[in-house]
Amino acid sequence: MEKAPEFRPTGNESGLDGIPGDSAFISHEDGLGWLYVPSGLQDGPMPTHYEPLESPVHNALYSRDTNPAVHWFTRQENRFAPPGDPRFPFVLTTYRLTEHHTAGGMSRFLSHLAELQPELFAEMSPELAVELKIANGDHISIVSLRGAIEARALVSRRIRPLHLNGKTVHQIAMPFHFGSAGPVRGGATNDLVPISGEPNVTIMEAKALTCNIVPGRLPHGPAFEDWLNTYVPKGGPPNLHPEQPPPGAPCGRAGGGHGLEGKIDSR
Amino acid sequence: MIGEGIQSSNQRRHSFVKDHVEVGFFTDPSVCIGCKACEVACKEWNQVPDDGFTWSGNSYDNTGHLGASTWRHVMFLEQDRQKGNQITGPMGLPFEPASPARADPQSEDPFRWVFLSDVCKHCEEAGCLESCPTGAIVRTEVGSVLVQNDVCNGCGYCVVSCPFGVIDRRPEPLPDAGGAFKCTFCYDRQKSGLVPACAKVCPTESIVFGRLDDLRARGAQRVQQLQESGYTDAQLYDPTETSVRGIHAFFLILGEPEAYGLPPKPQIPTIYLKSAWTSAFATAIGSFIATLLAFTFFS
Repeated sequence: MEKAPEFRPTGNESGLDGIPGDSAFISHEDGLGWLYVPSGLQDGPMPTHYEPLESPVHNALYSRDTNPAVHWFTRQENRFAPPGDPRFPFVLTTYRLTEHHTAGGMSRFLSHLAELQPELFAEMSPELAVELKIANGDHISIVSLRGAIEARALVSRRIRPLHLNGKTVHQIAMPFHFGSAGPVRGGATNDLVPISGEPNVTIMEAKALTCNIVPGRLPHGPAFEDWLNTYVPKGGPPNLHPEQPPPGAPCGRAGGGHGLEGKIDSR
Repeated sequence: MIGEGIQSSNQRRHSFVKDHVEVGFFTDPSVCIGCKACEVACKEWNQVPDDGFTWSGNSYDNTGHLGASTWRHVMFLEQDRQKGNQITGPMGLPFEPASPARADPQSEDPFRWVFLSDVCKHCEEAGCLESCPTGAIVRTEVGSVLVQNDVCNGCGYCVVSCPFGVIDRRPEPLPDAGGAFKCTFCYDRQKSGLVPACAKVCPTESIVFGRLDDLRARGAQRVQQLQESGYTDAQLYDPTETSVRGIHAFFLILGEPEAYGLPPKPQIPTIYLKSAWTSAFATAIGSFIATLLAFTFFS
Protein backbone atom coordinates (compact mmCIF):
# COMPACT_ATOMS: atom_id res chain seq x y z
CA MET A 1 0.00 0.00 0.00
CA GLU A 2 3.04 2.28 -0.15
CA LYS A 3 2.23 4.32 -3.25
CA ALA A 4 3.41 7.80 -4.22
CA PRO A 5 0.70 10.37 -5.06
CA GLU A 6 2.10 10.58 -8.60
CA PHE A 7 1.53 6.86 -9.24
CA ARG A 8 -0.58 6.07 -12.36
CA PRO A 9 -1.61 2.49 -13.22
CA THR A 10 -0.42 1.05 -16.52
CA GLY A 11 -3.54 -1.06 -16.96
CA ASN A 12 -1.91 -4.38 -16.17
CA GLU A 13 -2.43 -4.18 -12.39
CA SER A 14 -5.28 -5.81 -10.54
CA GLY A 15 -7.21 -4.86 -7.41
CA LEU A 16 -5.93 -2.01 -5.26
CA ASP A 17 -2.70 -1.83 -7.30
CA GLY A 18 -4.72 -0.42 -10.21
CA ILE A 19 -5.84 2.67 -8.32
CA PRO A 20 -3.92 5.93 -8.91
CA GLY A 21 -1.80 7.17 -6.02
CA ASP A 22 -3.91 10.29 -5.41
CA SER A 23 -7.32 8.55 -5.46
CA ALA A 24 -8.59 8.22 -1.92
CA PHE A 25 -11.78 6.16 -2.39
CA ILE A 26 -10.01 2.81 -2.56
CA SER A 27 -13.24 0.78 -2.26
CA HIS A 28 -14.38 2.04 -5.65
CA GLU A 29 -13.03 0.47 -8.86
CA ASP A 30 -11.61 3.79 -10.05
CA GLY A 31 -10.63 5.10 -6.61
CA LEU A 32 -12.83 8.17 -7.05
CA GLY A 33 -15.73 9.53 -5.00
CA TRP A 34 -19.05 9.22 -6.84
CA LEU A 35 -21.82 11.82 -6.87
CA TYR A 36 -24.00 9.86 -9.32
CA VAL A 37 -24.24 6.21 -8.30
CA PRO A 38 -26.26 4.31 -10.92
CA SER A 39 -26.71 1.09 -8.95
CA GLY A 40 -26.19 -0.43 -5.52
CA LEU A 41 -27.64 2.33 -3.32
CA GLN A 42 -31.08 2.03 -1.72
CA ASP A 43 -31.38 5.83 -1.54
CA GLY A 44 -29.50 6.83 -4.70
CA PRO A 45 -28.61 7.67 -7.35
CA MET A 46 -27.95 11.32 -6.34
CA PRO A 47 -26.87 12.57 -2.90
CA THR A 48 -29.18 14.88 -0.95
CA HIS A 49 -29.80 16.09 2.57
CA TYR A 50 -32.34 14.85 5.09
CA GLU A 51 -32.39 15.76 8.76
CA PRO A 52 -31.50 13.10 11.35
CA LEU A 53 -34.45 11.09 12.64
CA GLU A 54 -34.33 13.28 15.75
CA SER A 55 -33.57 16.90 14.95
CA PRO A 56 -34.20 20.28 16.57
CA VAL A 57 -35.17 21.79 13.21
CA HIS A 58 -37.11 20.93 10.04
CA ASN A 59 -35.37 20.09 6.78
CA ALA A 60 -34.39 23.28 4.94
CA LEU A 61 -34.37 21.51 1.54
CA TYR A 62 -37.69 19.62 1.37
CA SER A 63 -41.03 19.40 3.14
CA ARG A 64 -39.98 15.90 4.17
CA ASP A 65 -37.61 15.80 7.16
CA THR A 66 -36.26 12.26 7.21
CA ASN A 67 -34.94 9.80 4.67
CA PRO A 68 -37.95 7.88 3.28
CA ALA A 69 -35.92 4.68 2.92
CA VAL A 70 -34.89 4.50 6.58
CA HIS A 71 -35.85 1.67 8.97
CA TRP A 72 -37.49 3.01 12.14
CA PHE A 73 -38.03 -0.05 14.41
CA THR A 74 -41.04 1.60 16.09
CA ARG A 75 -41.55 0.39 19.69
CA GLN A 76 -42.64 1.98 22.95
CA GLU A 77 -39.04 1.73 24.30
CA ASN A 78 -37.66 3.17 21.07
CA ARG A 79 -39.53 6.44 20.60
CA PHE A 80 -38.18 9.32 18.54
CA ALA A 81 -38.70 12.99 19.47
CA PRO A 82 -40.51 14.99 16.76
CA PRO A 83 -38.61 17.88 15.12
CA GLY A 84 -38.25 20.85 17.47
CA ASP A 85 -39.65 19.00 20.52
CA PRO A 86 -39.31 21.61 23.35
CA ARG A 87 -38.72 18.81 25.90
CA PHE A 88 -35.46 17.87 24.14
CA PRO A 89 -33.92 21.14 22.95
CA PHE A 90 -30.27 20.06 22.76
CA VAL A 91 -28.35 18.12 20.13
CA LEU A 92 -26.34 15.15 21.39
CA THR A 93 -23.55 13.56 19.39
CA THR A 94 -21.52 10.55 20.43
CA TYR A 95 -17.90 9.83 19.64
CA ARG A 96 -14.81 7.81 20.53
CA LEU A 97 -11.73 8.57 22.59
CA THR A 98 -8.35 7.22 21.53
CA GLU A 99 -7.86 5.71 24.99
CA HIS A 100 -10.84 3.36 24.77
CA HIS A 101 -12.13 0.75 22.34
CA THR A 102 -15.85 0.49 21.41
CA ALA A 103 -17.99 0.22 24.56
CA GLY A 104 -14.84 -0.12 26.69
CA GLY A 105 -15.20 -3.85 27.38
CA MET A 106 -11.50 -4.31 26.69
CA SER A 107 -9.97 -0.93 27.50
CA ARG A 108 -11.85 -0.10 30.74
CA PHE A 109 -10.29 -3.16 32.39
CA LEU A 110 -6.72 -2.21 31.45
CA SER A 111 -5.43 0.13 34.14
CA HIS A 112 -2.94 1.90 31.85
CA LEU A 113 -5.76 2.91 29.50
CA ALA A 114 -8.51 3.34 32.10
CA GLU A 115 -6.50 5.86 34.13
CA LEU A 116 -6.19 8.11 31.07
CA GLN A 117 -9.98 8.50 30.66
CA PRO A 118 -11.52 7.33 33.92
CA GLU A 119 -15.00 8.82 33.83
CA LEU A 120 -17.87 9.55 31.47
CA PHE A 121 -18.17 13.22 30.56
CA ALA A 122 -20.28 15.43 28.34
CA GLU A 123 -18.54 18.24 26.50
CA MET A 124 -20.44 21.49 26.22
CA SER A 125 -19.80 25.07 25.19
CA PRO A 126 -19.21 27.81 27.79
CA GLU A 127 -22.37 29.50 26.44
CA LEU A 128 -24.54 26.48 27.31
CA ALA A 129 -22.82 26.05 30.69
CA VAL A 130 -23.67 29.64 31.58
CA GLU A 131 -27.25 29.21 30.39
CA LEU A 132 -27.79 26.07 32.52
CA LYS A 133 -25.64 27.33 35.44
CA ILE A 134 -23.25 24.37 35.12
CA ALA A 135 -19.58 24.62 36.14
CA ASN A 136 -16.76 22.53 34.68
CA GLY A 137 -16.69 19.17 36.48
CA ASP A 138 -20.28 19.33 37.77
CA HIS A 139 -22.45 16.24 37.66
CA ILE A 140 -25.21 16.53 35.09
CA SER A 141 -28.02 14.22 33.98
CA ILE A 142 -28.73 13.71 30.30
CA VAL A 143 -32.19 12.47 29.37
CA SER A 144 -33.61 11.37 26.01
CA LEU A 145 -36.86 9.61 25.08
CA ARG A 146 -35.07 6.29 25.63
CA GLY A 147 -33.56 6.85 29.09
CA ALA A 148 -31.29 8.92 31.29
CA ILE A 149 -27.67 8.72 32.42
CA GLU A 150 -25.36 10.95 34.42
CA ALA A 151 -21.96 12.34 33.48
CA ARG A 152 -19.47 15.06 34.39
CA ALA A 153 -19.63 18.35 32.53
CA LEU A 154 -16.49 19.22 30.52
CA VAL A 155 -16.87 22.85 29.51
CA SER A 156 -14.71 23.71 26.52
CA ARG A 157 -14.57 26.27 23.76
CA ARG A 158 -13.95 23.36 21.39
CA ILE A 159 -17.75 22.91 21.40
CA ARG A 160 -19.66 25.73 19.68
CA PRO A 161 -23.35 26.57 19.57
CA LEU A 162 -25.01 25.91 16.21
CA HIS A 163 -26.96 28.55 14.34
CA LEU A 164 -29.80 26.77 12.51
CA ASN A 165 -32.45 28.76 10.62
CA GLY A 166 -31.82 31.81 12.81
CA LYS A 167 -32.20 29.70 15.93
CA THR A 168 -29.39 28.99 18.39
CA VAL A 169 -29.13 25.28 19.10
CA HIS A 170 -26.68 23.99 21.69
CA GLN A 171 -24.94 20.69 21.24
CA ILE A 172 -23.20 18.37 23.65
CA ALA A 173 -20.84 15.50 22.87
CA MET A 174 -20.35 12.30 24.82
CA PRO A 175 -18.01 9.33 24.40
CA PHE A 176 -19.71 5.92 24.53
CA HIS A 177 -17.01 3.84 26.23
CA PHE A 178 -18.49 3.40 29.71
CA GLY A 179 -20.57 0.79 31.42
CA SER A 180 -21.34 -0.84 34.74
CA ALA A 181 -18.24 -3.03 35.27
CA GLY A 182 -14.48 -2.70 35.57
CA PRO A 183 -12.11 -0.41 37.46
CA VAL A 184 -13.66 2.67 35.83
CA ARG A 185 -17.43 2.84 35.41
CA GLY A 186 -19.99 5.23 34.09
CA GLY A 187 -23.31 5.57 32.35
CA ALA A 188 -23.71 3.82 28.99
CA THR A 189 -24.27 6.57 26.42
CA ASN A 190 -25.98 4.03 24.16
CA ASP A 191 -28.88 4.00 26.69
CA LEU A 192 -29.84 7.36 25.18
CA VAL A 193 -29.55 6.33 21.54
CA PRO A 194 -32.54 5.13 19.46
CA ILE A 195 -32.37 2.02 17.29
CA SER A 196 -32.82 2.72 13.60
CA GLY A 197 -31.55 1.34 10.31
CA GLU A 198 -29.72 3.34 7.69
CA PRO A 199 -31.12 2.23 4.28
CA ASN A 200 -27.96 0.66 2.88
CA VAL A 201 -26.05 -0.91 5.74
CA THR A 202 -28.71 -0.84 8.53
CA ILE A 203 -26.39 0.90 10.97
CA MET A 204 -28.26 2.90 13.57
CA GLU A 205 -28.09 6.65 13.72
CA ALA A 206 -26.10 7.19 16.94
CA LYS A 207 -24.29 10.38 15.98
CA ALA A 208 -27.20 12.83 15.95
CA LEU A 209 -30.07 12.82 18.41
CA THR A 210 -31.82 15.23 20.76
CA CYS A 211 -31.71 15.32 24.55
CA ASN A 212 -32.36 17.41 27.62
CA ILE A 213 -29.79 18.30 30.30
CA VAL A 214 -30.64 18.53 33.99
CA PRO A 215 -27.94 19.79 36.39
CA GLY A 216 -27.24 17.40 39.26
CA ARG A 217 -27.00 13.64 39.73
CA LEU A 218 -29.65 11.04 38.97
CA PRO A 219 -31.66 9.58 41.85
CA HIS A 220 -31.35 5.82 42.37
CA GLY A 221 -33.86 3.04 42.92
CA PRO A 222 -37.62 3.72 42.70
CA ALA A 223 -36.96 7.47 42.84
CA PHE A 224 -35.28 7.16 39.44
CA GLU A 225 -38.53 5.93 37.84
CA ASP A 226 -40.41 8.94 39.25
CA TRP A 227 -37.65 11.29 38.13
CA LEU A 228 -37.64 9.82 34.62
CA ASN A 229 -41.45 10.04 34.45
CA THR A 230 -41.36 13.79 34.97
CA TYR A 231 -39.11 14.22 31.91
CA VAL A 232 -40.24 11.27 29.76
CA PRO A 233 -43.88 10.39 30.55
CA LYS A 234 -44.77 6.76 29.91
CA GLY A 235 -47.62 5.77 27.63
CA GLY A 236 -48.88 7.48 24.51
CA PRO A 237 -48.29 6.35 20.95
CA PRO A 238 -44.89 4.83 20.16
CA ASN A 239 -44.62 6.80 16.91
CA LEU A 240 -44.26 10.41 18.09
CA HIS A 241 -42.38 11.54 15.00
CA PRO A 242 -44.88 12.60 12.28
CA GLU A 243 -42.99 10.66 9.59
CA GLN A 244 -42.62 7.52 11.67
CA PRO A 245 -44.83 4.52 10.73
CA PRO A 246 -46.89 2.76 13.44
CA PRO A 247 -45.49 -0.44 14.96
CA GLY A 248 -45.44 -3.36 12.54
CA ALA A 249 -45.96 -1.21 9.45
CA PRO A 250 -43.38 -1.73 6.71
CA CYS A 251 -40.72 0.89 6.35
CA GLY A 252 -37.58 1.32 4.33
CA ARG A 253 -37.37 0.02 0.75
CA ALA A 254 -38.24 -3.57 0.00
CA GLY A 255 -35.07 -5.56 -0.36
CA GLY A 256 -32.98 -2.88 1.28
CA GLY A 257 -30.38 -3.40 3.93
CA HIS A 258 -28.98 -6.72 5.11
CA GLY A 259 -32.01 -8.98 4.76
CA LEU A 260 -31.96 -12.74 4.47
CA GLU A 261 -30.99 -12.33 0.85
CA GLY A 262 -28.08 -10.04 1.67
CA LYS A 263 -27.50 -6.61 0.22
CA ILE A 264 -29.21 -6.53 -3.15
CA ASP A 265 -30.31 -3.93 -5.64
CA SER A 266 -34.09 -4.20 -5.87
CA ARG A 267 -34.11 -2.63 -9.32
CA MET B 1 11.94 14.05 8.63
CA ILE B 2 8.26 13.23 8.87
CA GLY B 3 7.23 10.45 6.52
CA GLU B 4 10.53 8.58 6.70
CA GLY B 5 8.57 5.51 7.80
CA ILE B 6 10.79 2.57 8.63
CA GLN B 7 13.84 4.62 7.61
CA SER B 8 13.21 6.95 10.57
CA SER B 9 15.74 6.96 13.39
CA ASN B 10 12.77 6.02 15.61
CA GLN B 11 12.56 2.62 13.95
CA ARG B 12 16.21 1.72 13.32
CA ARG B 13 18.46 -0.34 15.57
CA HIS B 14 21.49 1.51 16.89
CA SER B 15 24.71 1.08 18.88
CA PHE B 16 24.71 4.43 20.68
CA VAL B 17 25.46 2.89 24.10
CA LYS B 18 28.44 0.92 22.79
CA ASP B 19 29.74 3.91 20.82
CA HIS B 20 29.14 6.42 23.67
CA VAL B 21 27.05 8.71 21.43
CA GLU B 22 25.06 11.54 23.07
CA VAL B 23 21.39 10.88 22.33
CA GLY B 24 18.21 12.86 22.86
CA PHE B 25 14.51 13.26 22.35
CA PHE B 26 13.08 16.00 20.14
CA THR B 27 9.36 16.50 20.85
CA ASP B 28 7.29 18.50 18.39
CA PRO B 29 3.73 19.53 19.38
CA SER B 30 2.93 20.76 15.86
CA VAL B 31 2.45 17.14 14.72
CA CYS B 32 1.31 15.60 18.04
CA ILE B 33 -2.25 14.21 17.83
CA GLY B 34 -2.68 13.68 21.59
CA CYS B 35 -3.13 9.90 21.35
CA LYS B 36 -1.13 9.26 24.57
CA ALA B 37 0.46 6.16 23.01
CA CYS B 38 3.79 7.33 24.51
CA GLU B 39 2.31 7.32 28.02
CA VAL B 40 0.89 3.83 27.63
CA ALA B 41 3.98 2.36 25.92
CA CYS B 42 6.22 3.85 28.63
CA LYS B 43 4.15 2.34 31.42
CA GLU B 44 3.88 -1.02 29.65
CA TRP B 45 7.59 -1.43 28.96
CA ASN B 46 8.82 -0.10 32.29
CA GLN B 47 6.07 -1.82 34.30
CA VAL B 48 5.06 1.45 35.93
CA PRO B 49 1.83 1.04 37.94
CA ASP B 50 -1.29 3.10 37.32
CA ASP B 51 -1.56 6.01 39.75
CA GLY B 52 -5.27 6.38 40.29
CA PHE B 53 -8.43 6.75 38.24
CA THR B 54 -9.15 10.44 38.76
CA TRP B 55 -10.95 12.51 36.18
CA SER B 56 -9.47 16.01 36.12
CA GLY B 57 -11.90 18.06 34.03
CA ASN B 58 -8.85 19.72 32.48
CA SER B 59 -9.39 19.06 28.76
CA TYR B 60 -8.37 15.44 27.99
CA ASP B 61 -5.45 15.54 30.43
CA ASN B 62 -6.21 13.15 33.28
CA THR B 63 -2.52 12.54 33.98
CA GLY B 64 -1.76 15.99 35.42
CA HIS B 65 2.00 16.03 35.76
CA LEU B 66 5.14 13.95 35.60
CA GLY B 67 5.96 11.95 38.70
CA ALA B 68 7.13 8.64 40.13
CA SER B 69 4.50 6.71 38.15
CA THR B 70 4.22 9.02 35.13
CA TRP B 71 7.32 9.30 32.96
CA ARG B 72 5.59 10.64 29.87
CA HIS B 73 2.78 13.17 30.19
CA VAL B 74 0.80 14.52 27.25
CA MET B 75 -0.37 18.08 27.94
CA PHE B 76 -3.62 19.35 26.40
CA LEU B 77 -3.64 23.13 26.13
CA GLU B 78 -6.78 24.95 25.00
CA GLN B 79 -5.67 28.45 24.05
CA ASP B 80 -7.43 31.47 22.59
CA ARG B 81 -4.68 31.85 20.03
CA GLN B 82 -4.28 31.29 16.33
CA LYS B 83 -2.56 28.13 15.13
CA GLY B 84 -0.37 28.73 12.13
CA ASN B 85 -2.35 30.13 9.21
CA GLN B 86 -5.66 29.00 10.71
CA ILE B 87 -8.60 31.02 9.37
CA THR B 88 -10.46 32.44 12.34
CA GLY B 89 -13.73 34.28 12.59
CA PRO B 90 -16.45 35.18 15.04
CA MET B 91 -17.45 31.80 16.42
CA GLY B 92 -19.55 32.90 19.38
CA LEU B 93 -23.22 33.75 19.38
CA PRO B 94 -23.76 36.70 17.04
CA PHE B 95 -26.96 37.90 18.68
CA GLU B 96 -26.20 36.96 22.29
CA PRO B 97 -22.73 38.44 22.72
CA ALA B 98 -20.87 37.02 25.70
CA SER B 99 -18.18 39.61 25.10
CA PRO B 100 -18.16 42.83 23.07
CA ALA B 101 -15.66 41.30 20.65
CA ARG B 102 -18.14 38.58 19.62
CA ALA B 103 -20.87 41.09 18.82
CA ASP B 104 -18.73 42.31 15.93
CA PRO B 105 -19.09 39.91 12.96
CA GLN B 106 -15.70 41.01 11.66
CA SER B 107 -13.99 40.12 14.92
CA GLU B 108 -11.44 37.35 15.19
CA ASP B 109 -12.03 34.58 17.69
CA PRO B 110 -9.06 32.26 17.39
CA PHE B 111 -8.78 28.99 19.26
CA ARG B 112 -6.27 26.18 19.23
CA TRP B 113 -5.74 22.86 20.97
CA VAL B 114 -2.07 22.05 21.46
CA PHE B 115 -0.65 18.72 22.63
CA LEU B 116 2.88 18.28 23.96
CA SER B 117 4.39 15.11 25.38
CA ASP B 118 6.47 16.09 28.40
CA VAL B 119 9.30 13.93 29.72
CA CYS B 120 12.44 14.06 31.90
CA LYS B 121 14.79 16.55 30.24
CA HIS B 122 18.00 14.61 31.07
CA CYS B 123 19.88 17.85 31.82
CA GLU B 124 23.53 18.38 30.93
CA GLU B 125 24.02 19.53 34.57
CA ALA B 126 21.34 17.60 36.43
CA GLY B 127 20.06 18.90 39.78
CA CYS B 128 18.90 15.44 40.85
CA LEU B 129 22.26 13.84 40.08
CA GLU B 130 24.26 16.51 41.90
CA SER B 131 22.11 16.32 45.04
CA CYS B 132 21.98 12.52 45.29
CA PRO B 133 23.95 11.49 48.43
CA THR B 134 23.98 7.75 47.71
CA GLY B 135 25.24 7.69 44.14
CA ALA B 136 21.96 6.14 43.02
CA ILE B 137 21.66 8.66 40.20
CA VAL B 138 24.30 8.26 37.51
CA ARG B 139 25.14 9.60 34.05
CA THR B 140 25.03 6.89 31.36
CA GLU B 141 27.21 6.43 28.27
CA VAL B 142 24.59 8.15 26.11
CA GLY B 143 24.38 11.24 28.33
CA SER B 144 21.09 10.38 30.02
CA VAL B 145 20.47 10.53 33.77
CA LEU B 146 19.54 7.20 35.36
CA VAL B 147 18.15 6.42 38.83
CA GLN B 148 19.31 3.04 40.12
CA ASN B 149 16.36 2.06 42.23
CA ASP B 150 18.22 -0.68 44.12
CA VAL B 151 20.67 1.94 45.45
CA CYS B 152 18.19 4.77 46.13
CA ASN B 153 17.43 5.18 49.83
CA GLY B 154 14.43 7.45 49.33
CA CYS B 155 15.90 10.60 50.92
CA GLY B 156 14.05 12.84 48.45
CA TYR B 157 16.86 15.39 47.89
CA CYS B 158 16.52 14.91 44.12
CA VAL B 159 12.81 15.76 44.25
CA VAL B 160 13.44 19.32 45.41
CA SER B 161 16.58 19.71 43.27
CA CYS B 162 14.94 19.07 39.90
CA PRO B 163 14.24 22.42 38.22
CA PHE B 164 11.47 20.83 36.12
CA GLY B 165 9.59 18.89 38.83
CA VAL B 166 10.15 15.60 36.99
CA ILE B 167 11.36 13.17 39.65
CA ASP B 168 9.26 12.09 42.62
CA ARG B 169 9.06 9.43 45.30
CA ARG B 170 6.44 6.74 44.77
CA PRO B 171 3.76 6.79 47.48
CA GLU B 172 2.20 3.79 49.26
CA PRO B 173 0.54 1.44 48.34
CA LEU B 174 2.15 1.30 44.89
CA PRO B 175 4.91 -1.28 44.28
CA ASP B 176 8.46 -0.15 45.25
CA ALA B 177 6.96 2.71 47.28
CA GLY B 178 9.42 5.12 48.90
CA GLY B 179 12.08 5.18 46.19
CA ALA B 180 12.54 7.96 43.66
CA PHE B 181 11.54 7.24 40.05
CA LYS B 182 11.70 9.03 36.72
CA CYS B 183 12.20 8.38 33.02
CA THR B 184 15.13 6.01 32.43
CA PHE B 185 15.45 7.01 28.74
CA CYS B 186 14.73 3.28 28.33
CA TYR B 187 18.39 2.60 29.12
CA ASP B 188 17.65 -1.13 29.16
CA ARG B 189 16.25 -0.96 25.62
CA GLN B 190 19.09 1.26 24.42
CA LYS B 191 21.71 -1.19 25.67
CA SER B 192 20.15 -3.76 23.33
CA GLY B 193 20.16 -1.32 20.40
CA LEU B 194 16.44 -0.54 20.70
CA VAL B 195 14.75 2.86 20.59
CA PRO B 196 12.96 4.13 23.75
CA ALA B 197 9.38 2.83 23.93
CA CYS B 198 7.68 6.24 23.60
CA ALA B 199 9.56 7.18 20.41
CA LYS B 200 9.06 3.69 18.98
CA VAL B 201 5.25 3.93 19.20
CA CYS B 202 4.78 7.61 18.32
CA PRO B 203 2.60 7.38 15.18
CA THR B 204 3.37 10.89 13.89
CA GLU B 205 7.04 11.17 14.86
CA SER B 206 6.18 13.95 17.25
CA ILE B 207 8.71 12.27 19.53
CA VAL B 208 11.97 11.64 17.70
CA PHE B 209 14.86 9.73 19.21
CA GLY B 210 18.37 9.99 17.81
CA ARG B 211 21.82 11.55 18.05
CA LEU B 212 21.59 14.81 19.96
CA ASP B 213 23.47 16.86 17.33
CA ASP B 214 21.25 15.46 14.54
CA LEU B 215 18.15 16.30 16.54
CA ARG B 216 19.31 19.87 17.26
CA ALA B 217 19.79 20.42 13.53
CA ARG B 218 16.41 18.84 12.83
CA GLY B 219 14.76 21.02 15.48
CA ALA B 220 16.21 24.23 14.05
CA GLN B 221 15.11 23.18 10.55
CA ARG B 222 11.59 22.40 11.78
CA VAL B 223 11.29 25.79 13.53
CA GLN B 224 12.32 27.55 10.34
CA GLN B 225 9.83 25.48 8.30
CA LEU B 226 6.99 26.31 10.74
CA GLN B 227 7.91 30.00 10.86
CA GLU B 228 7.75 30.14 7.08
CA SER B 229 4.32 28.49 7.02
CA GLY B 230 2.73 30.92 9.47
CA TYR B 231 3.55 29.50 12.91
CA THR B 232 5.26 32.72 13.95
CA ASP B 233 5.31 31.72 17.64
CA ALA B 234 7.24 28.46 17.04
CA GLN B 235 10.51 28.27 18.96
CA LEU B 236 12.85 25.69 20.47
CA TYR B 237 12.89 25.13 24.20
CA ASP B 238 16.48 24.16 24.92
CA PRO B 239 17.91 26.21 27.81
CA THR B 240 21.65 26.12 27.15
CA GLU B 241 22.35 29.57 28.65
CA THR B 242 21.40 28.67 32.24
CA SER B 243 23.16 26.46 34.80
CA VAL B 244 21.31 23.44 33.38
CA ARG B 245 23.58 23.92 30.30
CA GLY B 246 21.25 22.27 27.83
CA ILE B 247 18.86 19.33 27.94
CA HIS B 248 18.87 15.98 26.16
CA ALA B 249 15.08 15.97 25.73
CA PHE B 250 14.27 19.30 24.14
CA PHE B 251 11.02 20.60 22.71
CA LEU B 252 9.60 22.69 19.96
CA ILE B 253 6.92 24.89 21.51
CA LEU B 254 4.23 27.15 20.11
CA GLY B 255 4.12 30.26 22.28
CA GLU B 256 5.79 30.83 25.61
CA PRO B 257 7.37 28.08 27.73
CA GLU B 258 5.33 29.14 30.79
CA ALA B 259 2.14 27.93 29.07
CA TYR B 260 3.61 24.41 29.06
CA GLY B 261 4.79 24.59 32.68
CA LEU B 262 8.39 24.82 31.47
CA PRO B 263 10.58 27.28 33.40
CA PRO B 264 12.02 29.92 31.03
CA LYS B 265 15.31 29.99 32.98
CA PRO B 266 15.76 26.66 34.80
CA GLN B 267 18.56 26.66 37.39
CA ILE B 268 20.07 23.79 39.35
CA PRO B 269 20.16 24.43 43.13
CA THR B 270 23.90 23.68 43.43
CA ILE B 271 24.77 27.08 41.93
CA TYR B 272 23.72 28.54 45.30
CA LEU B 273 26.20 26.32 47.21
CA LYS B 274 28.99 28.90 47.28
CA SER B 275 26.84 31.74 48.64
CA ALA B 276 25.09 29.32 51.03
CA TRP B 277 28.36 28.05 52.48
CA THR B 278 29.83 31.59 52.62
CA SER B 279 26.91 32.88 54.63
CA ALA B 280 26.90 29.77 56.85
CA PHE B 281 30.63 30.27 57.54
CA ALA B 282 30.12 34.01 58.22
CA THR B 283 27.26 33.20 60.60
CA ALA B 284 29.42 30.67 62.45
CA ILE B 285 32.26 33.20 62.92
CA GLY B 286 29.77 35.89 63.94
CA SER B 287 28.13 33.71 66.58
CA PHE B 288 31.53 32.65 67.93
CA ILE B 289 32.57 36.31 68.33
CA ALA B 290 29.20 37.19 69.86
CA THR B 291 29.60 34.37 72.40
CA LEU B 292 33.11 35.55 73.32
CA LEU B 293 31.89 39.13 73.70
CA ALA B 294 28.98 37.99 75.86
CA PHE B 295 31.37 36.18 78.23
CA THR B 296 33.69 39.22 78.29
CA PHE B 297 30.97 41.71 79.25
CA PHE B 298 28.79 39.65 81.59
CA SER B 299 31.31 37.48 83.47
